[in-house]
Amino acid sequence: MNKGKYLIRLACIFAAFTVFIYGTSLYGAGQIINDSSRTRADLIKIDTMSAFGRLEKPPVEFLHDAHTEALAKKNLDCTACHLIEKDQIFPKFKRIKDADRIEVMNIYHKECISCHGEMKVAHEKTGPVECDGCHSGKTIYSSSRQPMGFDKSLHFRHSEAQEKKCERCHHEYDEKEKKLFYAKGKEGTCRYCHKSETKDNLISMRLASHIACINCHNKNLAKKLDSGPVTCSGCHDLATRQKIKKISPVPRMERKQPDIILLKAVPKGADVDVDVEKQNRMDFVPFDHQVHEDYNDTCRVCHHEGLQPCNECHTLAGKKEGKEVNLEKAMHQAGANESCLGCHELQQEAENCAGCHAPMGKTRKKEDDSCRKCHMMPIFETEKISNPEYEKSRASEMLKSRKSVTGTYQENDIPEKVVIKHLSKKYEPVDFPHRKIVNAIVNKIKDNKLAMYFHSEEGSLCKGCHHNSPVSKKPPQCGSCHGKVFDENNPLKPGITGAYHQQCMGCHQEMGIEKPVGCTDCHKEKKINQM
Amino acid sequence: MSDKAAIGVKTWFTPFNVVSGFIIIVGIVLSILRFTMGLGAVTNLSNDNPWGLWIGFDLFVGVALAAGGYVTSAAVYLLGMKKYHSAVRPAVLTGFIGYALVVFALTYDVGRPWRLPYPFLIQQGTTSLLFEVAGCVALYLTVLFLEFMPAPLEWLGLKKVRELAVRLTLALTVVGVVLSTLHQSSLGAIFLIAPSKLHPLWYSPYLPVFFFISSIAAGLSMVIFESTLSHHYFADKMDETHLNENEGVTLGFGKAASFVLAGYFMIKVMGIAGGDNWRLLGTSYGLWFLVELLGFVALPSFLYAVGVRNRDLKLIKWTAVWTVLGIVVNRLNVTLIAFNWQLPSDQRYFPHWMEIATSVFIVTIGIVVFRFIVTKMPIFYEHSDYKDIH
Amino acid sequence: MSISRRKFLKWIGAAGLGSTIGKSALAASTKHFEGYPESFGVLHDITRCVGCRSCEAACAKVNELPLPDKPFTDLSVLQEKRRTTETAYTVVNKYEVAGKKAPVFVKKQCNHCLEPACASVCFVRAFKKTETGAVTYDASVCVGCRYCMIACPFEIPAYEYNEALTPRIMKCTMCYPRVIKGQLPACVEACPTEALTFGKRVDLINIARERIRKYPDRYIDHIYGETEMGGTSWMYISGVPFSEIGMREDLGVTPAPKLTSGALSAVPVVVGLWPVFLMGLFAISKRKEIVSRQELEETVRSVSDKANVKLADALARARKEKEAAVEKEVKKALEKAAQSRSKEDI
Repeated sequence: MNKGKYLIRLACIFAAFTVFIYGTSLYGAGQIINDSSRTRADLIKIDTMSAFGRLEKPPVEFLHDAHTEALAKKNLDCTACHLIEKDQIFPKFKRIKDADRIEVMNIYHKECISCHGEMKVAHEKTGPVECDGCHSGKTIYSSSRQPMGFDKSLHFRHSEAQEKKCERCHHEYDEKEKKLFYAKGKEGTCRYCHKSETKDNLISMRLASHIACINCHNKNLAKKLDSGPVTCSGCHDLATRQKIKKISPVPRMERKQPDIILLKAVPKGADVDVDVEKQNRMDFVPFDHQVHEDYNDTCRVCHHEGLQPCNECHTLAGKKEGKEVNLEKAMHQAGANESCLGCHELQQEAENCAGCHAPMGKTRKKEDDSCRKCHMMPIFETEKISNPEYEKSRASEMLKSRKSVTGTYQENDIPEKVVIKHLSKKYEPVDFPHRKIVNAIVNKIKDNKLAMYFHSEEGSLCKGCHHNSPVSKKPPQCGSCHGKVFDENNPLKPGITGAYHQQCMGCHQEMGIEKPVGCTDCHKEKKINQM
Repeated sequence: MSDKAAIGVKTWFTPFNVVSGFIIIVGIVLSILRFTMGLGAVTNLSNDNPWGLWIGFDLFVGVALAAGGYVTSAAVYLLGMKKYHSAVRPAVLTGFIGYALVVFALTYDVGRPWRLPYPFLIQQGTTSLLFEVAGCVALYLTVLFLEFMPAPLEWLGLKKVRELAVRLTLALTVVGVVLSTLHQSSLGAIFLIAPSKLHPLWYSPYLPVFFFISSIAAGLSMVIFESTLSHHYFADKMDETHLNENEGVTLGFGKAASFVLAGYFMIKVMGIAGGDNWRLLGTSYGLWFLVELLGFVALPSFLYAVGVRNRDLKLIKWTAVWTVLGIVVNRLNVTLIAFNWQLPSDQRYFPHWMEIATSVFIVTIGIVVFRFIVTKMPIFYEHSDYKDIH
Repeated sequence: MSISRRKFLKWIGAAGLGSTIGKSALAASTKHFEGYPESFGVLHDITRCVGCRSCEAACAKVNELPLPDKPFTDLSVLQEKRRTTETAYTVVNKYEVAGKKAPVFVKKQCNHCLEPACASVCFVRAFKKTETGAVTYDASVCVGCRYCMIACPFEIPAYEYNEALTPRIMKCTMCYPRVIKGQLPACVEACPTEALTFGKRVDLINIARERIRKYPDRYIDHIYGETEMGGTSWMYISGVPFSEIGMREDLGVTPAPKLTSGALSAVPVVVGLWPVFLMGLFAISKRKEIVSRQELEETVRSVSDKANVKLADALARARKEKEAAVEKEVKKALEKAAQSRSKEDI
């Protein structure tokens, strides 16, 4: 072979090699799905076999709505895949119970593959028939399913549609007779009994809601009436859900609930220990139940396990039924939405409040006086309130006595402008529009009764900025406590420059105030010192 | 022209001289630029990529390929393999020129080359592997110089001094192997400090071992490669022993290289296992790693074995070239390609043409010096005065 | 063995001496350096940084660095991610993080590690971890090898590539000259929102923990730099995950010097043992040579002995034959003589 040919062959091999190397670069598995067409609310990951042990093959990504649509085109309905049990479509795939591992697996394989196979033979677009087609293990879709809830508006619409016949949906279970019955006056949310997992014959919330809701909706659709959704996305897709009509304001639910309650430590009718009676306890709390119904979308926010009064499970010492959460914690735990204080604290995170409340931190100790905002009725009045009528009238009296108006000082007592002229080499003093800001804050909470009630004392609003000092018409200047830069004995107290900037800029950021922005909007640069 | 040819005077303008002369002139210009205008003017080095071609190629590849010196001396003087004796002087010369050029190239790359003695004289940074490399390279250069000494001394006719030099051989060989082990492995260990910057397939706590073992294979292959070229261009300078022993050297070194490469392959695989990096082989860097491991380590190991078995000298010689290329690939991978692998492509480094030209310049100087020495001094032949001493 | 006793002793002595070179190998030690007792540090509260770049301006002024093309008040430079350079010891970067309405700003500079990689790898000890906590650089010994830039996991040191004769490494000094005079580092002093807090490192850790405890919704529960790379003097707390604001979370907690201490500790072992092994190989190969030579001589001798015996036998036999022949001839001659005499007598 002459040299030329040899070199050419060598070059060809080298070129082929290079092409091979670059052409077959592999990417790792598991790309994040950001494509919107790949996020669906009807995505079901079929891993039924995991209840029987370790999975042999990866779970199957199943798109329910896609199948409903495809079957609808063939004039097939839910019964194509779902069995009828007790006159209702059962949500499991072609079975009622998950009895035996092999049996369940065979059901899936037989039914899915046979249907796909038939369509394939008919040259229609269909799903896979080979193992890896379904059990590919690849994550192609991501779920956008939002849990569906029944709020007051939906409940009202349903009760109207059912002609206020509560027994059509609400039932209780008789353990002895082993059957369902309707208990008037005891209606609660389904979730009080139906939990996240099926236990014996108490089916899960998922099964219960799908059986109850979808069957009823289907029946209405068959009668060509207006009905709720029957597809996955109809309830579980956020965008589609927005289309559901919302009634506002919702008329009050008729469940014979109290308007005003006096909250006491010991539940009504409970045996009261005589000695306990003589002990000093927290003052009672007059509670406006009716108004609080309007503040929440469901009753479950507070009545999270049942509609009974809180202190039945959450006793003073705590008991098993209350998961050992005692009454104090149940009422006051910050961060727990079910507790009174937790819910109130949550309101402080609103933009209109966050400017002052965000820097205060969650673990701060509340002032002792603030207890009285709720604990209004002195307990020495206990004897008198054994009369329920008196109890109610006294409670409502106290509630009415609450002043829900923000307390502020007189206008002339609030300085209009404050000149902040701490030693600064770079910037001119700040002309701080003090009164304008106070008025703006007052304005922001004028529609919020909770805020106004808690800030009904004069000067309480001022403490948002004039913090860590007693309430006063002439609160101390920032510089009284904040000195030069950082002091290691007071690690959480910034120096004066830090104090100003953190307070002002922090507030602006939390409240979403766009201007002033940058350095020079608040203080102009000094001409002599240009950096 | 014909007059000159008739008289028998050789012209200075041979193709080799012209090309190498051009390269050297360009190199001198670039050197002036480098030392008057700083590194930024002639390199693509940046704050993200402080080490470039001069370190990756001139230093790392240079040191690895100059390993033939210690390997050959060890084989002949420590293991007593006298049939490779003729390969010692060329290997030592290659090693000596190689290390001398490494130090020369270093003066280009380092910011203040006149301060290179500082780590020894002023302040010792003994926690640094670079200190260890620098010390060992400096000492080893001395060792190589002394090992090389007999040849010019014979050329100069200084019998007594030459005798003294020869008596040092055994000691120098031992010291040479010790120093080579240290600095070859430490060059690999230099990258131990940057696990976050070197791709996990190349980063391993065994980096020093990898570099040391591969330097043996590099040395063996370079000796074969250098002798192939020398036999082509300087055959007229070779004596009978040299010419006769050549086949033995090629076969023997080829056999040794086959074993060493096989061992190197094994420990590299164990390195992947140790880091549990198997799944990385499926990425594009993994593919490139496989090219290096299978194409430039496993393949030459196999080809060497085939060549030795079939006494196919041509195959062995080409495999030697391929192995040398593989060492270049490996060192460039560790220093430039797999280093800073996570940086976005606009921050990655590619050498400036001036850097490449300077490296070519330095290699050319090496070839020119090599040529000068082998044509003047008893490298490829035994000096008539000392023929019988062995 | 042909090796002389003297030579043997020399090698063993050298081996022993060689093993004593080198510092103690800390590779296997369980010591953990937590910084000099009263050393300082800086805590950077990322939630407080507003990206005003006052720190950059103050740093440039105090260190007499050349002014950049765009002034420090120009916030448009924040649109690109920057790194420290030979004219900027510190930079502020802006990050848009999902779920946060306001952008997040982070200041980046040398972290003054407790066990700095740069100090470990510098072969002229140009870097020093001072008792104040600052890692300082001595340009008067630096050779310009740039190994520190390779080693730094945070990619901080920058080099004056455009200086021909006096190129230096440039990095934050934690204002060491100011700190030893009792002043604050320039950036800490300049920051309007006190996003930077200077103090003793142990105090800073407590402060950071206190802040995280008090505002659990505001901060990620991690102090970056408390353990990263064995701990740094410059620490960070943030409201968003650190990996989303350009800070690597995969650096581990091993201090940089520990990464190479294993390899370094092997050096004296090699120096000590290799000569022994190599001389052993030499001795073995020499011995082999001698033995093979002896065996050759043996063979030659035995062969020649055998041949000699054969020769002696042959010689003896030949002599005997000659004697016999001679005797025979003598006898014949005597008989002939006796015959001729008897003939004469008759």
